[in-house]
Parts: sequence; C-alpha cells; structure tokens
Amino acid sequence: MSSHAVHSITAAKLPRRRKAGGLRGFGGAMPATFLVILFFVVPVLALLLRSVLEPAPGLQNYETLLGSTTYLKVFANTFIVSTLVTICALVIGFPVAWALVIMPSTLTRIVFAILLLSMWTNLLARTYAWMVLLQRTGIINKTLMQLGVIDQPLALVNNLTGVTIGMTYIMLPFVILPLYGVIRTIDRAVLRAAALCGATRWQALTRVLLPLAAPGMAAGGLMVFVMSLGYFVTPALLGGTSNMMLAELIAQLVQSLVDWGLGSAAAFLLLVVTLALYAVQLKIFGTRQMGGR
Amino acid sequence: MTTPFLEIRGIRKEYGPVVAVHDVNLEVDRGELITFLGPSGSGKSTTLYILAGFEEPTRGDILLDGETLLATPSHRRNIGMVFQRYTLFPHLSVGENIAFPLRVRRWSKADIDARVRRMLELVRLNGYEDRKPAMMSGGQQQRVALARALAYDPPILLMDEPLSALDKKLREEIQHEIRRIHHETEVTILYVTHDQDEALRLSDRIAVFSQGCIDQVGTGPQLYAEPATRFVAEFIGDSDFLSCDLVGSNGTTADIRLGDDLVVSGVPLHGRPGERARGALLLRPERMDLSRQAGPDKTGLPVQISDITFLGSNIHVAAATGWGETVSVRLPFGHQSISGLSRGDTVWLRFDPGAAHVFT
Amino acid sequence: MLLDFHRLGWWRWVLLAIVIAVSAFLLLPIIFIATLSFGSSQWLIFPPPSWTTRWYGELFADPRWLAAAFNSLKIGLIVTVLSVLIGLAASFSLVRGKFRGRETLKALFLTPMILPVVVLAVALYAFFLRLGINGTVTGFVIAHLLVALPFSILALTNALEGFDKSVEDAAVLCGAHPLEAKLRVTLPAIAPGLFSAAIFSFLTSWDEVVLAIFMASPTLQTLPVRIWSTLRQDLTPVIASASTVLVAVTIILMLLVALVRKGMKS
Repeated sequence: MSSHAVHSITAAKLPRRRKAGGLRGFGGAMPATFLVILFFVVPVLALLLRSVLEPAPGLQNYETLLGSTTYLKVFANTFIVSTLVTICALVIGFPVAWALVIMPSTLTRIVFAILLLSMWTNLLARTYAWMVLLQRTGIINKTLMQLGVIDQPLALVNNLTGVTIGMTYIMLPFVILPLYGVIRTIDRAVLRAAALCGATRWQALTRVLLPLAAPGMAAGGLMVFVMSLGYFVTPALLGGTSNMMLAELIAQLVQSLVDWGLGSAAAFLLLVVTLALYAVQLKIFGTRQMGGR
Repeated sequence: MTTPFLEIRGIRKEYGPVVAVHDVNLEVDRGELITFLGPSGSGKSTTLYILAGFEEPTRGDILLDGETLLATPSHRRNIGMVFQRYTLFPHLSVGENIAFPLRVRRWSKADIDARVRRMLELVRLNGYEDRKPAMMSGGQQQRVALARALAYDPPILLMDEPLSALDKKLREEIQHEIRRIHHETEVTILYVTHDQDEALRLSDRIAVFSQGCIDQVGTGPQLYAEPATRFVAEFIGDSDFLSCDLVGSNGTTADIRLGDDLVVSGVPLHGRPGERARGALLLRPERMDLSRQAGPDKTGLPVQISDITFLGSNIHVAAATGWGETVSVRLPFGHQSISGLSRGDTVWLRFDPGAAHVFT
Repeated sequence: MLLDFHRLGWWRWVLLAIVIAVSAFLLLPIIFIATLSFGSSQWLIFPPPSWTTRWYGELFADPRWLAAAFNSLKIGLIVTVLSVLIGLAASFSLVRGKFRGRETLKALFLTPMILPVVVLAVALYAFFLRLGINGTVTGFVIAHLLVALPFSILALTNALEGFDKSVEDAAVLCGAHPLEAKLRVTLPAIAPGLFSAAIFSFLTSWDEVVLAIFMASPTLQTLPVRIWSTLRQDLTPVIASASTVLVAVTIILMLLVALVRKGMKS
C-alpha cells in the first residue's frame, strides 16, 4: 500500500522536473538578464532606430555624417590618433613586456604594481596631470627651454600631439599585459637554438622573437586601437575644441546640439566598427588560442 | 517475507540517449559493508549519487526499511557520505567540521562537544580539533571527513572512492581503519571503488558493475570461484582465457574442444550454447599444473614455454598454445614439475575441468 | 639567448633603461598631482615654491565638493551591494546551470564592459530622459551597475569555478538545507572572490566619468563629474587635491585586495 503511494509520488514528480531541464538553473541569472536587456540591449536598439527615424525616416543622417568634410575630419582625427597611439604603445610596450619576462622577479613585481596602479588611477586625475605637464608653462616645456633644446614653448596640448601622448600613456598597460602573457610562453630554448645556429642578437630578435610575439602584438594592438576609437575623456580634455574625435562629437551632437538623429547615427557607426573589429579579433585569435591550449 | 533494510529497485538513469544505470536491483542487509566495484563509467557512482539524492533516477525506487527515500530531499535523508575529493569545509577547523552536521541539527553545545571528541577518538585524531583542513595530509582529511559523516549516526554511509587520491601504503592503512570503524559502529556502508584489491579487502559483499548493470553480487570468494560473466572473471583476480569450441552441453556443463583434438568434458557453462558455438575457457593461473608427460588419459594440452619468471614464493610460467594464445601459470617455488625446464621446452598443461569455466 | 637576462650583454642595460623610463612615465603624473596638491602655487609651478594644505582646506570647505564626494560614496555603495548580489546569483547560474547558451549569456553580461562607454552613455541618456530618471540616484546606479556587473561576474564565476561543489554537497548531506549550505559553506569559501567583486564594483562606480557626465544634473554630481566640469574652466590646484583624494581611496582599496589575497594564500 505504502509503496504504491510512493510510486505515484515519484512518477508524478519526475516528468515535471525533466521538462524544466532545458532551463535548469537559469533562475539566478534572471535579474542580470533583465537588467542587461532592459537597460543595455533595448536602449542601444532604440538608439539605432532613432538614427534612421529622426528627423525623418531614411538614411540621411548617415549621408550627412559621411558626406560632410567637418565630420570626415573628425573620423580622420579619430583614425589617425588611434593608429598613432597603437603604434607608440606597441613600440614602447614590446621591450617592456620582453624585459618583464626575463628580469629578476623582484623588479618584475615592482613594475607590475606600477602598471596596476596606473590602470586603476582615476582617468580624470591622470588626464589632468598631463594637462598641467604639457601646458605652455608646464614642466616639460620649461625643462626643454632651460636645457636649450627649444627657444619657444612647444604646443603640446590642445592638439593631437597632446591627445596622442595622453592616450599612449593610458593604453600602455593594455599592450604590455597581453604581450607579457604571449612572450612568457615562448620557450627560451628556441632562442638559444637561434644563437647556436649563428644568428646575431639582432637577427634573433627580428627573425625569431618578434615573429613569435606577433600574435600578442596583433591582439594587444587591435584592442588598443578599438579602445582608442571610442575614447572620450582624454581627447576631450587634451585635444581642445578644434581637434575633435568621434566620441566627443557624439556627446556634443546629443548634449549641446540636441541633434538626436545625427548623434545616434554617429554612435551607431562607432558601435558597428567596434563590434566588427572585435569580431575580427575573435575570428583570428579566439580560434587559434582555443586550438593552441 | 521480511523487508530488506535497503532495497534498490529497478533504478534506471538516462542522460538523453545515454543510459548510465540500467535497471539495477540490489538488497542490502543492515550493518553490511558492500562495495560497488567496476571501471569508470560503469554506473556505480551514479547509483551512489542517486542514493545520496544528488541525481534523480529516470525510473525505479529506493526503499529504506520499506519506505521510499526518493521523496526525501538530500539534506533530510540522514545519510553520511565521504567523497572522492577532499570536502572538508576549508574555513572551519577540524572540530567545527565534525560539529557542522550537529549544529544544523540544533544539538546542545555540551552534546556537540562530547560527540566531536568521541568521533575524533574513533578516527584516532585526538588533539587535532583546532587544526584547519589545509594543514592536514590527505589521509587525515579523509579521516576527518569520515568522522563528520558518522557524527550524526546515519543508518547508511556512502563512500565514493574516498582513497583514490592517496598513495598505496596510506590507502591500505585507512582501509584497515575503515574495517575497524565498520565493526565498531555497525553502520551500513556502500563503498564505490574501481580497485579490486580494495573491494576484496573491505567488503562483506561486492556488486560488480559493468556498463550500467550489476553483473553479479556476492562475497569475494564467490565471485572468484563462480564468476557469472566473463567480465566478473576478468575483473576479480588474475585470469587466463583460451578460445575453444563447444561440442556438447547439458545446459549447466559443456564439453569443449581446445585446439584440434583435445576434448574436455564437464566444464561449468555460463551463457547459452548455440550451433557450433565458440567459447572462452577461463583458467586461474594458480589452478593449473604443468607436466613433462602427456599422461595416460591424454588430458594435457601441449604448450611451449615462452618465459619463466621467479617472483619469490611464486614462479610464473608463460606458455604459448599451438594456435598462438598464451597462458600464464603460477606455481609455488620449488614445485617439482618445472625443475630443469627452460624456454622453448614443450610441456603439458593440465587443469581440473570442474574448477574451470566456459563463457559463450 | 634573448630570453636569458644574463646573457643579453649590453642589450640588457638598454632594456632596463626602457623599463625604468616607462615606469617613470607611468608613475610621474600620479606623483606629480599629489605633489601639486600640497604646493602653494596657484599657477601650478613645479617644483612648488612652498608647501600648504590650503587646497584641501578649500576642497573640504566647499559644500559642492562635499556633496559630490558624498554622492560618489552613496552611489558607489549601492552599486556595490547590487552588483555583488546580482552578480552572485548570475554566477551561480552560469557556473552551475545546465541550460543551453550559458556562454552566450555570459558574453552578453560582459559586453557593456568592452563597448565604447560613450555609446552606452548616449543610449542610456536618451532612455532615461524618456523614463524621467535622468539626474536621479536611480539613473546613476543603473548606469554604473551595467559597467560594474561584468567585473563582479568575472570575479565570482572565477571563484565558483575554483570551488569544488562536492564540498557544498557534503554540507547538504550533513543535513543543511541547500540554501543554508550555500550561506554557511560556499560563501565563506569564496569570500576572496566576493571581496574582489565588491571592491572592483565600487571602484568602477567611484572612478566612472563618461556615464556620470550624462547622468548628472546641476543638483546631482559625483566627484569625477565635479572635477570634469571644473577642469573645463580652469586648472585650479583644488582639482589636484580632489584627484589625490580620489586616487588615495583607489590605492587603499587596491592594497586591501592585495592583502586579502595574500592572507588567503598563506
């Protein structure tokens, strides 16, 4: 009797549980999903809609953006600065990452601490420091003049030079850290072998070490390039009004000019380019990394 | 008819199209130590996890004293378990670990203290009360885990390969401890392992798992002497198999032909003989003999010695049959039949048909 | 050869020089601001002619700066609590769940971290204007939560993946209700992860500028917004002292994280 009742209990209970199997354990992710969909996916999609609906339905916002020299100059600025920052960060970052791999570990630890400190120091604070350092009466110009290198103070701020310096400074850790990860996995026996084969240090560097580190350079470089494209604070403060970059343009279109159609279109262009570059990165490096590990 | 203490009745577990446990039936007596022995993926751990309540069976039931266990959630089943990996709570001391199940049962402070002390004594770790798990060896951690699992007097203790992470010497030491604790507490233990030595050393009975089924349940000697399937025969003890033809059968024993002309009658048969069926003859290494003569009744099988290994009290002789299969014979040191033999000699292999088995 | 430091010959001194130069380049601005904040020069002359705490005095006497700091703190704390709670639930689900598309869902949760903040800011700004929560604490919290949550989820999924679920199962078999087992066993075991999640969530909100600029109103500003708007007018040393306060809080919290991690290891 009791065993009969028991069987009906389990029989009734089991199918119900199995049905829920498709979403088992999803419950906990509900609040986060709700938050991200309502306040991220929906607003971004709404922005896309505004770019093709305001002021009238059609693609005229995109035509304006891509057709006017004013806006094209902003795109050019953005592209030039991002490219320069990427190159500078890679050129400076590579020897640092290389040194971090081979230096005595106490030194490595100190440099890592400095990298982390720099990364987590407030962006505004760091940018402010550069504004002061780079200004006409700033310490850099003063020092150079005292040393007799220049007669007139250089214009280091309120132009793209200032933006490039400030952003290279900010992006450096983002190149050094991934590059360090790649160089660390290179077997030093390979380079000893290169030396035994008769390669000079320079040949070993250009023909062995650099090619082996290339995936890391490409990954770090691409990441810095993408981040630079959408950077707002540093270009806005160090670039001055005449040298606008894309993120600043978007902010200005929306906040000062209240041109939602054009602002949304510009934001959407930035979003598409960013996602496309991430996709490239995932396609090239994501699969290789998976296969390699 | 008396109700068995623990009954696993037709338990089946499917993961999509994969059947992990295939209608397992088993009755366990109170106070028994029974091992689930089998290779990985044979369904033994899954069965244990169903008992613990971490997995739900697709079908079937588990009865404890005649009452189903499946309707009770894990934390109310009052079952003890020791896991394969170390599962002591890392932020609690040894004493607090053992006290944990008692605290959630709202025991009084005095009762908890007394019980923790008794459990530490049971696993011989007196004085380790305030240690943190991270400061203890693997063997000590598993002993604390055992104390924690037994602290609340569970009627059943589940052990899921608790010693697999330990080295051989330590393993044997703790196996001994488990035997002792089993005798002292009289708790019913279900013990999962893939190690036949461990199973033989510990168990009252062994359930041999293979591909989601229990092939056979019995004491170690039973499984060894009367294996129900070729798998059991291979898994328990050392075994030699020779292929043979079945030439006649009465259902329980068979007449077999080895090679071209040696016919042996009266070999216990497992499985169904078909027309001209092929079979596998099981011989135990220590139950064979070698001799230099064919003997008057011509019951010997001519084999050629390929290797002789001296292993202290035993001597292993590897020999090849005329059709290329090898057997390994174990003879006690000083056994007269092999004195003076060397590699390449031909000898006659003899065995008692009643102690051999043929599987189809 | 090139990966053996002691066999590099004179090259290693070049490398070392580059490392020192870059380290100085990275440290310089931070030290520079801290120094200027105690310098007496209104015009930010370096090195300062003499030392003063005048700028800190001005900073702490100005109710607008104090209100901004208070807002930063309040928003940061709310974001921290929500980010850890929501992130914890989501991480349990992502690590332990059996449903399909968990990887995709995790990628979706992390996206706000990698997209240009300005796009998110503009999109949220438009959305909040419509909802009427622009310039409110709610708006700030939601915006910051979106970029803090990825840090929380990364730290907590990582911690949960490193935690053996058998330990929690053992607690359940000991008689603890599954929820009690999570509270009394799993959470203490992943405490360092929870701590990291909390700190990084707070710092993300505390340091965030771009979203804050769009969410702010004249009556509701955070410390970075206040610095931003002051900065656009002039380079007063008060900003240096405000920045130093901002950076000091960050450094203290980062040191705490490092200490807790070290303590956990030993």
